[in-house]
Amino acid sequence: MIQIEQLTKSVDTSEGVLTILKSVSLNIETAETVAIVGASGSGKSTLLGLMAGLDSASSGDVILNGHSLAKMDEEQRAILRGQMVGFVFQSFQLLPSLTALENVMLPIELKGDPEASTKARRLLARVGLEERWHHYPSQLSGGEQQRVAIARAFATEACILFADEPTGNLDTATGDKIVELLFELNREFSTTLVLVTHDERLAKKCGRIVKLVAGEIVSDEKNLAVGTTVDTTGTTPKEDAVSV
Amino acid sequence: MSESGHSAVLHDNKSLRTLFGLALRLLWRDWRGGEIRLLLLSLIMAVTSVTGIALFTDRLEKALLLESANMLAADRVLRSSQVPPEEILLEAESRGLRTARTLSFTSMAFSDSGNMLVAAKAVSNTYPLRGEVIIADAAFIRGTPVQNGPSTGEVWLESRALSALSIEVGDSVYVGEAELTVSKIIIAEPDRQQGGMLDNAGPRLMLSMEDVALTNVVQVGSRVSYRYLFANDDIETLDSFNQWLRDEYENEYYLRDVRDESEEVSDALNKAESFLLLGSLFAVLLAGVAIALTAKRYSERHYDYVAILKTFGCTSAQIGIIYLSIQVVLALISIIIGCVLGWLVHQGILQLLQTVILVSLPPAGYQPYVIGSLTAVICLLSFALPPLLALRETPPLRVLRKDLSQQKFGANVPYLFGMFGTVFLILWYSQDLMLTTVLVGSVAAIALFLSVVSYALLRSSGSVGMKAGSAWKLAMTAARRRRKQNVLQVMVFSITIMSLLILTLLRTDLIDDWQAQLPEDTPNHFMMNITQSQIAGIESFFEENGIVSNAFYPLISARVIAVNGDEPDPQEDLDTDANRSSITEGAQADDDESEDQSGDQESSAGESGEQGQVRGRLSRRQVTWADELPADNRVTEGSWWDENIEAGYVSIEDEYASWLGIEIGDSVEFEINQQTVSAEVSSFRSVRWDNMQPNFFIIFSPGTIDYLGATFLSTALMEREQKILLNDLVRLFPTMVIIEVDALIEQIQNIIAQVTSAIELISVLVLVCGALVLLSCVNATLDERFHENAILRTLGAGKKLILTSLLIEFSMIGMVAGIIATIGAEGSLYYLQEQVFEQDFNFHYWVWVAGPLIGMVVIAGLGVNSTRKVVSISPLNVLRRVV
Repeated sequence: MIQIEQLTKSVDTSEGVLTILKSVSLNIETAETVAIVGASGSGKSTLLGLMAGLDSASSGDVILNGHSLAKMDEEQRAILRGQMVGFVFQSFQLLPSLTALENVMLPIELKGDPEASTKARRLLARVGLEERWHHYPSQLSGGEQQRVAIARAFATEACILFADEPTGNLDTATGDKIVELLFELNREFSTTLVLVTHDERLAKKCGRIVKLVAGEIVSDEKNLAVGTTVDTTGTTPKEDAVSV
Repeated sequence: MSESGHSAVLHDNKSLRTLFGLALRLLWRDWRGGEIRLLLLSLIMAVTSVTGIALFTDRLEKALLLESANMLAADRVLRSSQVPPEEILLEAESRGLRTARTLSFTSMAFSDSGNMLVAAKAVSNTYPLRGEVIIADAAFIRGTPVQNGPSTGEVWLESRALSALSIEVGDSVYVGEAELTVSKIIIAEPDRQQGGMLDNAGPRLMLSMEDVALTNVVQVGSRVSYRYLFANDDIETLDSFNQWLRDEYENEYYLRDVRDESEEVSDALNKAESFLLLGSLFAVLLAGVAIALTAKRYSERHYDYVAILKTFGCTSAQIGIIYLSIQVVLALISIIIGCVLGWLVHQGILQLLQTVILVSLPPAGYQPYVIGSLTAVICLLSFALPPLLALRETPPLRVLRKDLSQQKFGANVPYLFGMFGTVFLILWYSQDLMLTTVLVGSVAAIALFLSVVSYALLRSSGSVGMKAGSAWKLAMTAARRRRKQNVLQVMVFSITIMSLLILTLLRTDLIDDWQAQLPEDTPNHFMMNITQSQIAGIESFFEENGIVSNAFYPLISARVIAVNGDEPDPQEDLDTDANRSSITEGAQADDDESEDQSGDQESSAGESGEQGQVRGRLSRRQVTWADELPADNRVTEGSWWDENIEAGYVSIEDEYASWLGIEIGDSVEFEINQQTVSAEVSSFRSVRWDNMQPNFFIIFSPGTIDYLGATFLSTALMEREQKILLNDLVRLFPTMVIIEVDALIEQIQNIIAQVTSAIELISVLVLVCGALVLLSCVNATLDERFHENAILRTLGAGKKLILTSLLIEFSMIGMVAGIIATIGAEGSLYYLQEQVFEQDFNFHYWVWVAGPLIGMVVIAGLGVNSTRKVVSISPLNVLRRVV
C-alpha cells in the first residue's frame, strides 16, 4: 500500500543544512493501522507530510498505492491526494466561514458529486452531530470540531487516512471518544490508517508502532494486542476503486 | 496494482462546471460570513463613482455644449468683417452641416414719430441653427419660442424700441431706404451677445437677409459683422470642416465655439472639467486602494482554505480557476449594481441641479457604462487578482505547518500590480501623459516621504510612551510592534485624508473664486463715450431712478510705438493674457474697424488669423489714468505710485509687458491723438480679466495724458424692469454708447451655479470612497488585533485598559496621518492651484489644526468601533476563531 524507500528530508537553515529524516524505509500494508511515535522534533510530522504527498522529499521515494510520488509534481500529487488520501489534523483545520455541514461537503463537492449534502449529513449523523450541522466551528467544542474533521476525512472515501496528533488538542476523555470513533470508522471503511502521535495510549490502539528518534526509525513493532484491521467483511479494498 | 503507474494514468474528474459551482458556493459562503462584503462594496463603489461621474459629465458636457451652442445659435461660428466666400457654405453643406448667415450692423430706425439707433441683424431663413428666438405680440411679456427669423418685408423689434419709436406691432419702420412692417416683438434671441459692440449698441432690430439690399445701408467700408453659422451633431464632422477651412484659406478663416467666444464661460468650464477629472481620479484611486486592501486581507484569510482544498486534491490550476471565477462573478455583480447605482447617483445629481440646468439634457451614450465596467475589470485585474492568484502558490503542507504561505510570489508583488493598474487608470481617464506623470510622481514622492517620516514618528512616540501609564505603554508597544503595518496604514490614511483635504480645499477655493468673480452686484451695463460735461447729469439720472452706478474712468485710445527708442518686437506666443480683450477692448476693436481701415486692427478677415492677432495686440488700446490701483489688480513687479507722484509714469499688465519685452524702468512711447507721449514703466500688474469690470492693459499716472482729452466709461447695475430707462438715458445723452451685458452675466452665473453644484456632489462621492478606504485599512489589521487583545484579556487585562489602549493607538496613528496629510495637501494644492487651476495659492491655516484633528477623531472612531467587539465577546471565542 505504502512503500517508503530511503526517504530523506533536509532543509537549509541559517546554521547550515538540517536533515530531518535520514534514509527512512518502511512498508505499510493495506488496511494496516500504524502509529508513528517519537518526541517533538523527531521528524514524525515531516514523515507524515511526505507520505501524504503534501511535501516533496530531498531524496528517496514514497510509492503510494503503486504511484511513485518522487516522479510527480505538486499538481499530480494533488490529484492523487484527492483520490486516495484523507486527513485528520491536530488543529482540526475546519474552515471558520463554513458550517459543519459545509466543511464536510467541501471534499465531496470537489469531486463534483451532486449528492454532497446527503452524504455529508449522513456522515455527520454517524459522528453524532446531526443536530449541529448548521453550526460554525467557533460554535463547537474542540471534540465536536474534531468529529466534524473526522466526518470530512471519511467523506472522500479515501483508501488511506493520515492523522496528525488527532487528540493533541483534546482532553483525555474527549480524546478517548474521538479515538474510538476514528477506529470505528476506520474499520467500517476498511481504510489504511497512519497516525502520528506522542500519546502512547493512542499508539497502543494501532496494529503497528514505528518509533522515530532524530529522523531515524529505531523500532518497528507489531502490536500483538490489537492485530491487524484487515477487512473481514469481504469488501473490495479501496485501491481497486482508483483509476490505475 | 501497477508499480510503474504514476501521474500519467491518474485522471482528474473535476470538470469546469464543478469548479465554477464550487466557486459560486465559496462566494456565497464568504458573503454570508462577511468575508467578501467589503471587497464587493469597494468594487461597487469604484464602478458607481466612475459611472456616476462619467454619466453626469457626459450629459453635462452635452448639455453645456447645447447651451453654449444656444449662446452662438450654432455649434460653430465663422466671423468676419468682410463677406466670406460663398464656397465655404457650399462646402459645409456638402459635408452634411446645416448652415445659416447673419449680418450685424448699426443703423438709425425711423418711425413717423421718432428715431433711434438700433443694432440691426439680418438673418437667413435657416437662422437659428441652435436655440430659439422668443417672440411676442406685445412689449415686455413672456413670448413664445420660434426657430426662424422674420419673413421678407417684416422686422422684429425689442420691446424698448417700440416705446422709443412710439409704435406698435403692425406699424411701419424705416431702415435706410426700406419700409418694413413690425410683425413681432423680440423677447430673447440666442446669440444676442455675440456681435461685440455692433450687437450691443442699441435695441435689436431683426430683419430678413433678403431685405438688406433694399435698405441700401450696407456699403463698402460700413461697419458690419458677417457671421456664418454651422451645426452638426457630430463634433468630428465640425472639426474636420474647420481643418479644411484653415487649410484652404491658410488660417484666414476658422471656426469658433463658445470657449473662444466667452473667456468667462470657458474658464469656468475648463476648471470644472479639471476638477471633475481630478475628483474621479481620486475616487478611482481611493476605491482601488480599498480594493487592494480588502483583496489582500481576503486572500490572507484564504490561505487555509486553499491549503485544505489542495489537501483534498485541488491542483494549483484548479485553485486559479476557482478564484478567477470568483473574480468574474464579483466583477459582474459589481458592474451590474455599480452601473445601476451610478445611474441613480447621476439622477440624484441632476435632481439637485434641476433648478440651474435650464436646458433639457440629452440622453447619455453607452460610453459611461463601458468606462464604469472597465474600471471594475481593471481594478480587479490590478488590485485584486494578484493576491488572489498568488493563493495558488499556497503549499498544501500549510495544513501541518501554519507558518508556511506563498513562496514564489513576493509580498510586494500585488502592490506593484496595483501601481501599474493605477498608472494605467490615471492615464486612461486623463488622456494626459503630463498630468499622469506629475500625479504619479508626486504620490510616489509623498509615499516615500511618508514612509520615512511616519516610521520616525512612530518610533519616537514609542519611546515617549514607554514612560507613560499602562494604557499608554500598551498602546505604544502595540504601535511599535506593528511598526511595519502601521507605517503602511499611516501611508494609506495619509493619502486618503490628503486626497479629501485637497478636494475639499480646492472646491472651497474654486467656488469662492467664482463667487468673487461675478458677485450679485456685478454691473451689467457699460456706458462709454461719455464727455466730462455729461458726468454730473448721468450721475443724477442714476440717483433719481435708483440705479447703482460706479466710478467714471477716463478712456483714451493709445498705441505703443517704441520701447526705449526702438520699435517694439512682440513675441509670436499667442497663449498669454496679452491675447485677451476686456469689454472695453472689444468695443475698441470695433472702433478700430471704422477708424483705421489700413488693416491695423484685431483679426480682420483680410489677414491670417494669427498674424492678425499678433498685430492686433500692437494696435490701439483703450488706456486710462488713475490714482489708485483698480480693485481686482495686483502689482506683480515694481510699485504703484503714491499720491504725490509726478506725471510721466505708466503701469502695464504683466503678460502684455512680457509679450512686448518691456521691463521696469523702460521708457515707452505712445501715440495718443496723433501726439507722442513718453512714460517710464513703474509697475506691472496682473489683471482679472474674467470679472466683467472695466480692465486696462495700460494705466498712466495722473497728469501724464490728462491734457489729451478723454471720454469716460462707467458701469451700472440695472434690473430687468429698469431697462426701459435706457431709452430715456439715450435720449438725454445721445452721444453715449451703452453696452448691455446682463444676459451674458446671467448665462455665466447659471453655468457657474451648475458646475458648483456638480463639484459639491463629486466631492461627496469621493468622501464616500475615502471612508471606504479608511474602513478597509482598519479592517486589514483586525484579525491580529483581535487575537492580541483576546490574549491580553485572557491574561487579565480589563475592558477599560484595552479600549483605552486601542483609542490611544488609533488616535496616534490618525494624528500622524493627519499631520502628514496636511503637509501633502498644502504642497499638492500649491502645485494644482498655481499650475492647473490658475488660482492664487493661499495658505489654509485652519487645516493645520483641522487635518490632524480630523485624522485623530476619524481613525480613532473607526478603529475603536471596529475592534471594540474584542471586549464584548469571550476571549475563548476569539482565540478559537483565529487559531
